[in-house]
Amino acid sequence: MATAMAATAAERTVLEEEFRWLLHAEVHAVLRQLQDILKEASLRFTLPGSGTEGPAKQENFILGSCSTDQVKGVLTLQGDALSQADVNLKMPRNNQLLHLAFREDKQWKLQQIQDARNHVSQAIYLLANRDENYQFKTGAEVLKLMDAVMLQLTRARNRLTTPATLTLPEIAASGLTRMFAPSLPSDLLVNVYINLNKLCLTVYQLHALQPNSTKNFRPAGGSVLHSPGAMFEWGAQRLEVSHVHKVECVVPWLNDALVYFTVSLQLCQQLKDKISVFSSYWSYRPF
Amino acid sequence: MKTSLQVVALWGKNAPPHSITAIMITDDQQTIVTGSQEGQLCLWSLSPELKISAKELLFGHSTSVTCLARARDFSKQPYVVSAAENGEMCVWNVTNGQCVEKATLPYTHTAICYYHCSFRMTGEGWLLCCGEYQDILIIDAKTLAIINTFTSSQSPDWINCMCIVHSMRIQEDSLLVVSVTGELKVWDLSSSINSIQEKQVVYEKESKFLDSLNCQTIRFCTYTERLLLVVFSKCWKVYDYCDFSLLWTEVSRNGQFFAGGEVLAAHRILIWTEDGHSYIYQLLNRWAQMGAAYKTFSGLSKSIYPADGRVLKETIYPHLLCSTSVEENKSLPFVMGYMNERKEPFYKVLFSGEVSGRITLWHIPDVPISKFDGSPREIPITTTWTLQDNFDKHQTVSQSIIDHFSGLEDEAGTAVVTSSEYVPSLDKLICGCEDGTIFITQALNAAKAGLLEGGSLLKDSPSHKVLKGHHQSVTSLLYPHGLSSKLDQSWMVSGDQGSCVILWDIFTEDILHKFFLEAGPVTSLLMSPENFRLRDDQIICCVCSDHSVSLLHLEGRRCLLRARKHLFPVRMIKWHPVENFLIVGCADDSVYIWEIETGTLERHETGERARIILNSCDDLQLLKPEPALSVTSETHKHKSIEQRSSSSHQLGPIPCPGLQVESSCKVADTKSFPTPFNVLPVKTKWSNVGFHILLFDLENLVKLLLPTPLSAADSSNSFYGSEILRRAKSTVEKTTLTIKRNKTASGSLSAEAQAKPLNDGLIQGNNAIKFIEENDIKKQKKTKSSKKKHTKASRKVDANLTIDTAKLFLSCLLPWGVDKELDNLCINHLNILKLQGPVSLGLASNEDHFSLMLPGWDLCNTEMKKEYSRVNLFSRKVLDLSNKYTATLPNHVGTPRRLENNCDSFEESNTIVYLLSRLFLVNKLVNMPSELACDFDRFFKTESMHNKMKSPGNDILHISSFYGYLRNGKNESHMTDADLPLLKLISCWRDQSVQVTEAIQAVLLAEVQQHMKSLRKTPIDSQPVSTAENGNYEMMQIPKKKEWTEELELQCIRNTSAPQTPVSPVKHDSNSNSANFQDAEDMPDRCVLEESESPGDPRHHSWMAKVCSCKVC
Repeated sequence: MATAMAATAAERTVLEEEFRWLLHAEVHAVLRQLQDILKEASLRFTLPGSGTEGPAKQENFILGSCSTDQVKGVLTLQGDALSQADVNLKMPRNNQLLHLAFREDKQWKLQQIQDARNHVSQAIYLLANRDENYQFKTGAEVLKLMDAVMLQLTRARNRLTTPATLTLPEIAASGLTRMFAPSLPSDLLVNVYINLNKLCLTVYQLHALQPNSTKNFRPAGGSVLHSPGAMFEWGAQRLEVSHVHKVECVVPWLNDALVYFTVSLQLCQQLKDKISVFSSYWSYRPF
Repeated sequence: MKTSLQVVALWGKNAPPHSITAIMITDDQQTIVTGSQEGQLCLWSLSPELKISAKELLFGHSTSVTCLARARDFSKQPYVVSAAENGEMCVWNVTNGQCVEKATLPYTHTAICYYHCSFRMTGEGWLLCCGEYQDILIIDAKTLAIINTFTSSQSPDWINCMCIVHSMRIQEDSLLVVSVTGELKVWDLSSSINSIQEKQVVYEKESKFLDSLNCQTIRFCTYTERLLLVVFSKCWKVYDYCDFSLLWTEVSRNGQFFAGGEVLAAHRILIWTEDGHSYIYQLLNRWAQMGAAYKTFSGLSKSIYPADGRVLKETIYPHLLCSTSVEENKSLPFVMGYMNERKEPFYKVLFSGEVSGRITLWHIPDVPISKFDGSPREIPITTTWTLQDNFDKHQTVSQSIIDHFSGLEDEAGTAVVTSSEYVPSLDKLICGCEDGTIFITQALNAAKAGLLEGGSLLKDSPSHKVLKGHHQSVTSLLYPHGLSSKLDQSWMVSGDQGSCVILWDIFTEDILHKFFLEAGPVTSLLMSPENFRLRDDQIICCVCSDHSVSLLHLEGRRCLLRARKHLFPVRMIKWHPVENFLIVGCADDSVYIWEIETGTLERHETGERARIILNSCDDLQLLKPEPALSVTSETHKHKSIEQRSSSSHQLGPIPCPGLQVESSCKVADTKSFPTPFNVLPVKTKWSNVGFHILLFDLENLVKLLLPTPLSAADSSNSFYGSEILRRAKSTVEKTTLTIKRNKTASGSLSAEAQAKPLNDGLIQGNNAIKFIEENDIKKQKKTKSSKKKHTKASRKVDANLTIDTAKLFLSCLLPWGVDKELDNLCINHLNILKLQGPVSLGLASNEDHFSLMLPGWDLCNTEMKKEYSRVNLFSRKVLDLSNKYTATLPNHVGTPRRLENNCDSFEESNTIVYLLSRLFLVNKLVNMPSELACDFDRFFKTESMHNKMKSPGNDILHISSFYGYLRNGKNESHMTDADLPLLKLISCWRDQSVQVTEAIQAVLLAEVQQHMKSLRKTPIDSQPVSTAENGNYEMMQIPKKKEWTEELELQCIRNTSAPQTPVSPVKHDSNSNSANFQDAEDMPDRCVLEESESPGDPRHHSWMAKVCSCKVC
C-alpha cells in the first residue's frame, strides 16, 4: 500500500480490473445475499397482504417468570398484533385470583414489531430496484446505498432491543388499558412490550397516596420497568406502585429476526469495507 | 455560527456532491428547491425561459433530507419546510436562504402536506406529516410544535403517502392517506379543525383495503372530482372516489418501479418511474368508444341510469399518449414531481432530480397528443443542469484557497486538498494534498490570492512551505498546540491513506518521527483531553478506516496501543482518566473498553449496557472539576461535543459539512482569544471534495482595530472609545442572549432581578433590556479573571494582520464596478484590492443554520445579466437602498472629511474602522430579534412625543438607554438627531425584509461613496497641505473621540438631570445607579488595560476619577 502512488501502469490496470469486478459482480452477489436474508427475516414478521395464506397465523405464548407465580398469562400474537390475552393475577393481599382478558373485537398493535417490520420492508425496497441489470458506477454510490440500508436495519434492530421508556401516566393513558373486558380495575396498570427476543408483560398494582400523607411525593420519570414505590399523578389522584409483576416469554421468530439483522448489518459493513479499500483509487476515474 | 460572523466561501473547482433526495418547485415558479442525501438544501433559480442555475446551498441538516414542502401560503411568505432522516425540521425562507424556524422531533417524516383553512383556522396553518410512525402528525407550520394527530381506529400503521382533497362539490376538505400495508383511509379535514385544536381524538371516516403494497402517490382528480389515482411501486390503479371501486389497474412492465404520478387534466394522467421515465395516459371511457351509435343514446342513457337509482359506473382504460426519458447513464433513484399551473405565464413542468445531482426539466404541452399513427410521442428534455455545471461555467470566479500553488508545482493539474487545518494563533493554513505533500501557508495571503485582483503579486511571495514525507494522500491533520498550550508549538501531526502518521516540526520542516500503524487509512486524529494524562503527557488517538484505533505518545515517540477488534466503524472515543481506560463506541452501538497501560481488551458490551457505559462516561467527565478556566479546556469540551455530534449520525470519519462547520464554529466562538478571521475546512460526505469558508468576525475585528490606531494618537481617548464600543457590543450581543434565556428561564431571572435592590424601579416593565445591565455585571464579574488574559492576548495579534483582514473583508463586500472612479479611489485611498469576480457570501441564520452562495449566483438575477462590468453587486436593490441611505445621510459628513493624497496608514485604517463599525451596526439592526425590534420601533414612534414632553412611560426609559447603547455602538461623531433618520431607515429595511447582505452592501456603498466624494472635491494636485486644513482635520478627529467619552457621561447626565423625560425621580435614580454600578464593575478591566498599555497616563487617571466620583452618588 505504501507504494501505491508509485504503482506501475500494470498494477493500476489490475487494481482497476479488480474494482470493476467488485462493482459489477461482487456487489450484486452481496446484494442478492442480503435480499435473501432480509426476505427471510420479513417472512418472520408475516407481512400482511404479501402472504397467500390470508391472515397471519396466531401463536400463543405462555408468559411466566422463574421468581414469581403471582402472574400467569397467555398472550396470542397475530403478526404484529396481540389478538387475545388471558392474564391470571393472584392478588397478594387476599390471594384472590383475578382474571383479565382482551375484548373480543379489538386487537392491540405491538408498535415495536410493526416498526421493525416496516423498517425491514423499507430496506428490502431499497435493495429491490438494484437488480443485476443495474450498474453501479462509483464506489460512493454503493456506500450511499449501504448506508441507507444499514440505517433501516439498525433502526429495525433498535426497535426490538430498546423498548419505549414510558412514564406511569403514559402507561395509564395508553390504549392498552382500554383493551380489557371486563375493564381493568383502577388499581392495576398493564404494559406489554418487546425486549430483544422476549415478549414481556408487566402488571403494576397501585395504591392511592393519602392527600395528607407525609411521604414526599416525587413523580417517577420514564422507565421500561418501574419499581415498587414509583409515584405518579393520575386524574386528581396521587398513586404509588405497590407491586410489580413482570412475566415474559421468548418469541422464537423474534430471535431469528434479530440474528438476521445482525448478519445483514455485518454483510453491509463488509461490503463497505471492500469498497473503501479502493477509495484511494476511484477518484481517478469516472467509473 | 453567530450572526455577526460574515462568511465567504472559497469553492474549489469541483462542486460539493448533492445527491438529490427531494425536489420541489416553488409556487412562483422561480425557484427549485432540492434536498440531498448529504443534508444540504440547494436553491436553484428558474428563469422564465426555464433555464436553471444554482444559487445557494443551505446548511443545517446533519442527515439525509427526506422531504420538502411548502410551509406557508407562498404568495405571502416564501417559506419551505424540510425534514431530515433524524427528525430535524427546518423552515427556510427561499428568497434569502434564511432558516426561519427549526425543531427536532423524534419522528422521521417522509411526506409533508401544508394545509391552511383561512376562515376556520387561526395561525399559519398546519403541516400534515407522515413517515416512520403510526398515522398522521399535525404540526404547527409556524412553531413546528406538534398540535395533534389523526388517529386510526382500525389497524394503525405507518403512512406512505397522502393528499388533500378540496372538493367544490361537497364543500369539505378531506385527507386521503395510504398506509404501508395498502389501506386507504379518509379523514375529514375542515370539519375537524376545531376538535383537533381542542386536542380531541379524531378517527378516520372511512377506510378501504387496496390490496397492493408500497404505495407511492395518491392523487385526486380535481377536474372530474370523481377519479382517484393511486400509484404503487408495481402498478397504478384508478378508483372511483364516490365508492372507492376499482376502475383500472395497470401493472408495470419490464421490471420498472413506479414512483409517482399526477393528474394532468380530466381523464389525463402522468405516471413516472424510479428510473426517470414518465408516461402520459389518456383515460378513455368505454362508453365513448362505442362511437356515434352510443352518442345518440347517451342522452337517453344518462336519463335512464339515475332514474334507476344507481350511479353511472365509469369504465375506463388508458391510452399512452406521450413519454419522456432521460439519457442512458442513469443513477437510481430519481425523485420527480410535476407542477401544474393553469395561469398563463407559468408552464406545466415535469421535473426530476437524480442521485448524481442532476436536475432535468420537461415542458409538458398543454394538450399532449400522440403521433399521427397513434404511437406515443417522446417529449424532449427542456433543460438539464447540475451543480458542477455552475462551477464549470463560472470557473474563473471560484478559487480554491490553494489553487495558486499549482502553478508552482507542476502543470499537470491542481493538487486536490484532502485535509486541512487552520491554526489561528499563527494564521497558518495547513493543507494535506492527494499526492502526499503538505502545504503550510499564510491563510490570509492565500485567501487574497484567490479572491483579489493583483493577487498574483502575492502568489510569488515565498510565504508557503511544502512538507514532503507522505507517499499517499494526507487524510487527517492535527495541530496539538491548538488544543493544549502545553504541547510544543512546532509540532504538527499528519496521517495518510497508507496508515502512516508523521510528527513534523513545522518551523524547521523536519520529520521528527514516522509512526507506521499498519492499519487502514487514518481517518481522524484526536487528542486526549486535558484531564487525561499518561505519565504527565497527553496522547494522540488515531482512528483508522479499518475500524482500528491506535494511541500514540508523542514525547516518547512510540505507539502505546493498537486496538483492532472492532467490527464496525468507530464512532466515539471516550477517556476514563481514573482507570486509564480508552472507551470506544462503534457504529453498531457496541462498546469496547481497552486498558491503555497493558493494551488489553477489558470488556466488550452491546445493547443497553453499552449505552449505560457511554452515558456514565459523560457524567464522569462532567463531574470532574474544571482545571481552572483555561482556553484549552473549553475548546476540548467542544471538541468532544463535535465528535459526539458528528458521530451520532454517520459513520465515523467522514464529517458531513453542516455538522463540522457548526461544531468547529463553536470551537472558534468559545475561544476567549478573539480571532477576527478564521478559515474552516469543510469536507463532504462520500467524496473527497472539500472547500473552505472564511469567517470574519466583524465584532472582534472592530474591537481589535479600534484601540491600535487610536492609541498611537491619543491613548486615553482610545480607551474610552474602545471601552464603550466593547460594552456596547457585548450588550447588543447579550441582548439576544438574554432574550433567549428569557424564554427558558425568565422566571428565575426576574426573581434574581428582584433580589437586587438597585434595580427595583426597573423591574415592573418586564422588558428585556433591563436584564442586559445585570447580565453585563454578572458576566463581567465572572470573566474578570479571564479578561486579563484576553486583553493581553488580543495585543498579540498582529496589527497589520488585522488591518489586512479588514481590507480583505471590505474587498469582499464592496460592489465593484458600480462606479469606475469610485473603484480607483477605493484602491488608491483605502488601499484595498479589487475582486477578481463575485464572492460567494454566506448568511448565518443562527448557530447551526447558514447558507452559502454558489459560483454564478450573480447571474441568477436576470436583470443583472447585461451589466458585465459590475462585479459582486448582490442585487439591484442594493443601489436603491444605497441611494436612499445617502439621501438620509446628514450633510456635514461628507464635507470636512478629506483624506490627503499622501494619507498615511493611520488615516486609512481610521476610515476602515469607521466603515466596519457602520457595517456592524447595520448588521445588528437588521438582525435584531423581533421582540427587541418591536420595542425599538415603538421607541421611534413615541420618540416624537417623547420630545414634546409627553409622558413616555416606563418602557421608554429602557429603550432610550438601549438606544444609547446602540449609538455607542455606532461610535460616530454625530450622535445627535442627525443620525436618527439613518437608524429609522435601517429599521425600516428590516421590516421590508431587506436581506442583511443587501443592507450591509448598500450601507457600505453609500458610505464609501460619501467618503470618496470628499476626495474628489479636493483636487488631486492640492499637495501642499494648509495648516488650517490640517488643524481642521485634527479637530475632526478629536471631537469624534471626545464624543465617545461624552456619550458615556451623557448617559449618566441624561438620566439624572435630563429634563425632557418627566419620569419619576425614583426611577431616574435607580437607573443612574445601575449605570454607575456598571461603570464601577468595568473599573478593574480598565485598570488592566492601563497596566498593560499605558502606565502613567495622567488623563487616564482623571477619567477614572470621574467615574469614581459618579460612584459616590
